[in-house]
Amino acid sequence: MVYFPESTLIDTIDGFQCKSYASEHPPGYIIVKPKYIPKSALEGDGLKYRFLFEKCLVRFNLFVSKEKLQNYVSQFRKKFSDYIYDCPLHHNWFFVIPFDKIKTIHDGRKGLQELLQIPKKDLDSYLILVRELIEFLKKSGVPTTDLGITHSTLLGNYTPGTSDIDIIIYGKENGWKILNYLQTATHPLLKWKTEEQWRQYYQEHKTSESKHFTEDEYVRHMIRKNYEGTFGGTVFTLFTSEERDETWFRWGEERYQPLGVATIQGKVVDHYNSHVRPGYYELVEGEVLEIEPGKSIDKNVPLRRVVTYSIPFVQQAVTGETLKACGLLELVTPKAGELYYRLVVGYFDAYVSERREQEYIKSEG
Amino acid sequence: MHFYESSIITTKDGLHCQVYGNEHPKEAVLVKPKYIPTDKIESSVLPYRFISSRKMNRLNFWVEKEGLRQYIENFTIAYPYYLYKSSFHDSHRLFFAVPIEQIERIYFPRRGLKELMSMPLEALDPHLRNVYQFVQLLVQSGLRLKDLGVTYSTLMGHYMQNISDINIVVYGKEQFWKLMSFMEKVQHPSLRWKSDEEWQEFLQKRSRFHRFGKEFGLRIMKRKHSEGFFNDTLFVIFAAEKEEEVWFKWGEEQYQEQGLVTVQATVVDNKSSVVRPGCYEVSDVIVMRGENKENIKKIVFYNRDYCMVAFPGEKIEARGILEKVIPKNGEKYHRVVVGYLDAYISDRREEEFIKLKE
Repeated sequence: MVYFPESTLIDTIDGFQCKSYASEHPPGYIIVKPKYIPKSALEGDGLKYRFLFEKCLVRFNLFVSKEKLQNYVSQFRKKFSDYIYDCPLHHNWFFVIPFDKIKTIHDGRKGLQELLQIPKKDLDSYLILVRELIEFLKKSGVPTTDLGITHSTLLGNYTPGTSDIDIIIYGKENGWKILNYLQTATHPLLKWKTEEQWRQYYQEHKTSESKHFTEDEYVRHMIRKNYEGTFGGTVFTLFTSEERDETWFRWGEERYQPLGVATIQGKVVDHYNSHVRPGYYELVEGEVLEIEPGKSIDKNVPLRRVVTYSIPFVQQAVTGETLKACGLLELVTPKAGELYYRLVVGYFDAYVSERREQEYIKSEG
Repeated sequence: MHFYESSIITTKDGLHCQVYGNEHPKEAVLVKPKYIPTDKIESSVLPYRFISSRKMNRLNFWVEKEGLRQYIENFTIAYPYYLYKSSFHDSHRLFFAVPIEQIERIYFPRRGLKELMSMPLEALDPHLRNVYQFVQLLVQSGLRLKDLGVTYSTLMGHYMQNISDINIVVYGKEQFWKLMSFMEKVQHPSLRWKSDEEWQEFLQKRSRFHRFGKEFGLRIMKRKHSEGFFNDTLFVIFAAEKEEEVWFKWGEEQYQEQGLVTVQATVVDNKSSVVRPGCYEVSDVIVMRGENKENIKKIVFYNRDYCMVAFPGEKIEARGILEKVIPKNGEKYHRVVVGYLDAYISDRREEEFIKLKE
């Protein structure tokens, strides 16, 4: 098992810019999402280009049409097979960076500490806003040493007025502390989307995730999340990343047997780990409502967890609520302990399969 | 060794350096450190920038002098391997150089521009689109895309929309002069030259009025066509010498300091006045102050402000270090050098100049 914090940017010796996509990783690798890759790596329509650090790079976008993504992933697999890990524990694949391909790790926590030391007179309007947001978040009781910055804020290729401010909160407890603080805290520069704005957003941004929700359901889910807002007119996003000693699973301690697409329901008894990636909801009274034709399950094995790699489905339900979800059902065999089922939403392979349109996590209240 | 001016080198310990000149010793690349991490040394006299996830000092040679001198002293202790002792110059000459083994990455302006120009226009933000369109104008001069490069913040990706300049490198002196004659004549709705007020503002900074003279400062600047605005963004164009056209080769001459002098001279050739270090070949030299020496043939400068200050036949006055030049082959002669980096931490920073006389 390898610990490496989620949402950390890594440059590779092949010119990729990637973001770590979990905090637990297989030995010798870091699970990542490629963010920018060299132009020469992919061919096809609809690619988005960026000129970054002397190079024309392609933005690797998981949300392009499925057919295009299938083509891109297939090219990727052929040209950069080292960056795909076929996991024997999951019987599934992950984008990864082998350790020997790492060129630079951009430490978000260290980067923020550097930024905080710069005299305000030498900061531009965007960085001043970042500093003010950090000062505001500090009032939650979370020290700035447990916060970090990422993406363009960290790398310095941001555009004031356009680029988001991406903040990492290190530690699950710290994550909840800030998210809870934001439920009531006010600041003259802080704004959340109103119910009306969420309704409008729902109408204007139909996605594969939102189509499983009625407008009312969508608004009910989004209005209570506080991980994305605007500060001084700039969008900010908060990512919580697990610390070394608090990852909710250890790589290699369990094996996962995929069983097929299923729709399940259960009662959430613990949502504590639902704000990280991968995150999960602990269930009781879990039942499989529907499963792929020809597949069956053992009624004696409990359905205990719904896991998400997909950020839109973090913090979807809280303890005491009934949760309904569709995703990949897996039989989990722990090294120690009893067998159980879990449902996983947002594995990389879901983006290139039918599951992309099928998967969701919803609170039934 | 030839290595193009204005490429950017990042070092293994995080410095961002700008290649300084086109001729270099074999074992290192002469540079001017531009951004320096603050983990080893820092100075509040210098401006700070948040670049590459780090708090950096920007090395500005025009800040308060005592603070700068102290910083350079600290730099020599913290980064002794970036100080270059030239065996061809006097021992107190200040050169910064990156040893080859300290190079982390080189950003090449020509390669960067080629990448940029290969991108679909709709993928570019307003700053990059502006660069793209400006370059489209420049190639109408007959220059090829491979004759051009883009550098500094645009190349490195930490530019600021509506604030950052467009810095264009032209590869080859001949190509640069060709572009300048094109720029003199070209008209474009997005192209605007600096007004008198804007040049006055420029001259008021960094002792430029003293260095260029009140009388001719504005005239010198106004006839330069290497600096202006494109869609209201400042552009600066400079030249990098090709290997076959460098006006000196590193190691082919020995230089011995003879003191500070003021000279008047007539410019014979200014073809190499577009590069760094730049050079005016001169005749009819009169030493106004300092030791009188025969055979002063060149006025050399390291500060790009002195590019294209004078044209053949014009008289100039210059104050700088007089050097005896001993070539490996050929006759000894003298030259005056303005703007060695050690000048910036001495009184010479304000004393040295190159002015147009008539």
